[in-house]
Amino acid sequence: MYINRALLFIAGLLFIFYPTVDSWILDGDTTWYRPFLLWLLVIVATYWNQRSRLPDEL
Amino acid sequence: MSFSPEQTLIAIVIYLSILFLVAYLADRSSISERITRHPATYVLSLGVFAGAMGTNGIFNIAQRFGFSYLLYYLGVVLMFVLATLLLLPILRLCRIYRLASLADVLAFRFRSQWIGAAVTLAMCLAVMPLFALQIQAVADSAHFLTGDTASALSQGDRKDGLALIFCITIIAFAILFGTRNVSSPNRNTGLVTAIAFESLVKLAALMVVMVVSVQQVFGDFAGLQAWLASNSAGQQILDSQLSGDSARSLLLMFFAGAICMPHIFHMAFAENIESQDLHVASWGLPLYLLLLSIPILPILWVGIRLQQGLPVEYTAIGIGLALDSRLIAGAAFVAGLSAASATIIVSTLALANMCLNHLVLPRRVLQINSDQSLYAQLKWLRRSLITVLILAGYGFFSALSGKHSLTHLGMIAFAGVMQFLPGLVATAYWQRANRIGMMSGLCVGLLIWCIAILLPVLGEFQWAWLQGFSAHLADTSIGRWVALSMIALGCNAAAIVVLSFVTQAGDDERIAAEICSMDERSRMTRRTLNISEASEIVDRLAPALGAKTARSELNRALTQLQFDDKESRPYALRRLRNRIEANLAALLGPAVAFRIVGTQLPFEPETEGSSGEDYALLERRLDRAQGQFTGLAADLDGLRRHYRDTLQNLPVGVCSLAGDGEILLWNTSMESITGIEANRVIGSSLDAVPMPWRSIVFACLNLQTEPVSKREVVRESGESQWVSLHRASSSTPGGGDRLILVEDITDLERLQDELLHSERLASIGRLAAGVAHEIGNPITGIACLAQNLDYETNMDDIRETSRDILKQTERVSRIVESLVNFSHVGSGSGNLDIGPCNLADCVDEATHLLNLDSQAKSVQFVNNLDRELVVEADSQRLLQVFINLLSNARDASPARGTITVSALITGARVTIHLDDQGTGIPAELVDKVFEPFFTTKEPGQGTGLGLSLVYSIMEDMHGTIHVSSPLDEVSASGTRMILSLPLGSYGDTFDV
Repeated sequence: MYINRALLFIAGLLFIFYPTVDSWILDGDTTWYRPFLLWLLVIVATYWNQRSRLPDEL
Repeated sequence: MSFSPEQTLIAIVIYLSILFLVAYLADRSSISERITRHPATYVLSLGVFAGAMGTNGIFNIAQRFGFSYLLYYLGVVLMFVLATLLLLPILRLCRIYRLASLADVLAFRFRSQWIGAAVTLAMCLAVMPLFALQIQAVADSAHFLTGDTASALSQGDRKDGLALIFCITIIAFAILFGTRNVSSPNRNTGLVTAIAFESLVKLAALMVVMVVSVQQVFGDFAGLQAWLASNSAGQQILDSQLSGDSARSLLLMFFAGAICMPHIFHMAFAENIESQDLHVASWGLPLYLLLLSIPILPILWVGIRLQQGLPVEYTAIGIGLALDSRLIAGAAFVAGLSAASATIIVSTLALANMCLNHLVLPRRVLQINSDQSLYAQLKWLRRSLITVLILAGYGFFSALSGKHSLTHLGMIAFAGVMQFLPGLVATAYWQRANRIGMMSGLCVGLLIWCIAILLPVLGEFQWAWLQGFSAHLADTSIGRWVALSMIALGCNAAAIVVLSFVTQAGDDERIAAEICSMDERSRMTRRTLNISEASEIVDRLAPALGAKTARSELNRALTQLQFDDKESRPYALRRLRNRIEANLAALLGPAVAFRIVGTQLPFEPETEGSSGEDYALLERRLDRAQGQFTGLAADLDGLRRHYRDTLQNLPVGVCSLAGDGEILLWNTSMESITGIEANRVIGSSLDAVPMPWRSIVFACLNLQTEPVSKREVVRESGESQWVSLHRASSSTPGGGDRLILVEDITDLERLQDELLHSERLASIGRLAAGVAHEIGNPITGIACLAQNLDYETNMDDIRETSRDILKQTERVSRIVESLVNFSHVGSGSGNLDIGPCNLADCVDEATHLLNLDSQAKSVQFVNNLDRELVVEADSQRLLQVFINLLSNARDASPARGTITVSALITGARVTIHLDDQGTGIPAELVDKVFEPFFTTKEPGQGTGLGLSLVYSIMEDMHGTIHVSSPLDEVSASGTRMILSLPLGSYGDTFDV
């Protein structure tokens, strides 16, 4: 089975730091669009990850 | 402000007409392929996931659970970010085996029509609430826009005319653009482009609503932030969230929906076969959903600020009405309309295919011998199913009577389709799962879903025990439904696991499990079909498909694989069979395709050596998957390539044959030795190898004793080629493979011949020298005695006799002299004085000497040589050569014939042609003319040593001599002696 290692690493980090990230996102004093910034970060990481793939990697 | 019903209806018709136009233009390629084929179009078409739930229902979740509304998007995001987990394996399966729906995949994996039928029925049931959601969203939005709030909020019997018109329009669109390319394996460009366009419209409309409403109400986004800081109702949205368990369960539910929902599956796999597009979607779709989710909270806050009076799902329309803004209300309506229409169209197309392949076609409803082609019948069946399904959705919507919010309807649908997730995961990851486990798990999960979730919403099945039980699970209704869904999912998964362990899977199921598993690329066995060439497939398939469709399917498979219909290689026929099965699976579903191909094109029964790994196919697939291997697998692949290259580039020809005679390997040297390309023979049986190699390899294989043999092969050009063949057998247990090594030993053979020739010449030389010595002395004595006799007698008779004796002794002396000459030259012991020698002068001298013989035949010698031409040779020996050759030519020529000598310079050598007009030399004797004592002259006319002597002299002078005869092909006359000598030059010889 082929699962990208970088992706597993990010998933692991998110799992470990989930409580910190969660409380940071839902901090009442902050701007309402903060969760979307984190989401954008995930998109950038995914984009970066898929760039290294071969065109027909099935 | 409100719109009239006519205006609303016209808006619906105009919008859907624009959609028609986009699809039509894309289908006709009026929209550039750079747009329609762009990965962004595919990504946008996946935006179909966000139906009316994403434009309307989501406001309900956001209001009650704050940021937890993002779970709806994050489930999909997670599925696409982790595309390698499920999406890529499923895409791989769908692409190779042309599977177009979830039912196709599960029926293929578990090799059961019943699984396909059960999944289809369950999917139809699970999707009905989703249809009702879409129809209700559009109908209620239209009612609110027209000011008919009572109709939208009524909870009585809903015979909604507007909703019915909407459904009929959608049916027309789905029929027009969803069933056009029934037999085409390609993407339905019109549909994909139209759905992508809808996604854009949806996003743009929500953005417009957000920007305009925030601007009108708060001034700008800073104003919104300021209001939020001071307003408790707005702040409460940010503070509230679902409990941890409910949130995780909801995430799993939407995660499952991202692959199990029929419209997503259809867009992700049936309308796309490019993995590259899926990789783009892994970040593109999350980006799209991010943009789509941003306007939700600001719009909700504007609604709270304005205290709009509509249900929260219709906040955007409520804002438009409150602000008296046609732009906002219209944009909000278009957003919901586009989302709902896209979801219904794509879901219906997917469900229609599933119903056709798994419910209708297995009942054998198609008329094979009818005038109507199979494709036309399929098209009409599909259109009927589309109509029935959408009308069933409308019926479900009417039955619900608007008693449930859009969110609830969405949750019911997602909870239903989530029951397919265990089967799908088992498809990719668990080979042990079998059809009994799958069917039991699905039945258990769906039964719990029906009893606990679906039936209660219909209103007539409100069991008190169930209400009491679910009240213990969670505080909120969504929490309770999510918990019940998870119970159904858990029981489903447990049933699959337990029953799969308890019961055994069939052989076909095990093979399919290996194919579907992530770790097994596919099972590539080498089985033989009982057909001799591709064109026979038409006759085989005709009873099941009709002759016309069978021919069409064969042609399509042949085109895809770039074979012709005369193809007879077993490897090619196997690939053809697989391709036809995959194409039929796309057309009729995998279960029907499997049955038709299995019945009409069965494999031969397995015998020893007739099966095994299909190495040719295995190699192709491994080569294609090169970039995918990591770690040890990559190392093994590297090692495989290294050994393969070594084998390919060996200077010895290697041919590997399976037990049944199928050729598995034909390396580069084998190609150059035999002149037969590997592509022509790999995968074919030995019978397909052209002669004479077929008989050579066959003879080598059937030699009972000697594993090594030597054969002469005559090439097409007529040249002889010598090969050495070695036979070996595979030591693999049960393999039965045989290996043949072929070595080109032509050069070695030539060298051996030359050595043998030289040795023979040397032997003859030694013999000649001995004979000459032994005969010479007695002959001299006889000659002396004969001379004495001549002097000492006056009797004429005796003197005449003595002179005859002298003549005969002279003749014997000449023969002995030529033998001595030959022995000297042939043994290589002659002292050669090689130097520059004028060729023309040499020939002139030879012709002059020959012309002295007045008794000889009268011929004309023509010397066409360049007077300046100089060669490196011994002049005396060369003179001897020319005398011999010209003398032979004169003897062979007719009276007054012409003998021509000419030359040309080729590089550092001079090629001399000596042509006569004689009778020529028969082809079978050409090779023998240089052998000692071989002559065609009458006995006593020649010794047979002349040309042999010439040959030896030429070799000693580093020259060559060949014969070409006949010179004139028509009259079969004339001979050309071709001599080659090094080009010479006087150079400094004259410098003093």
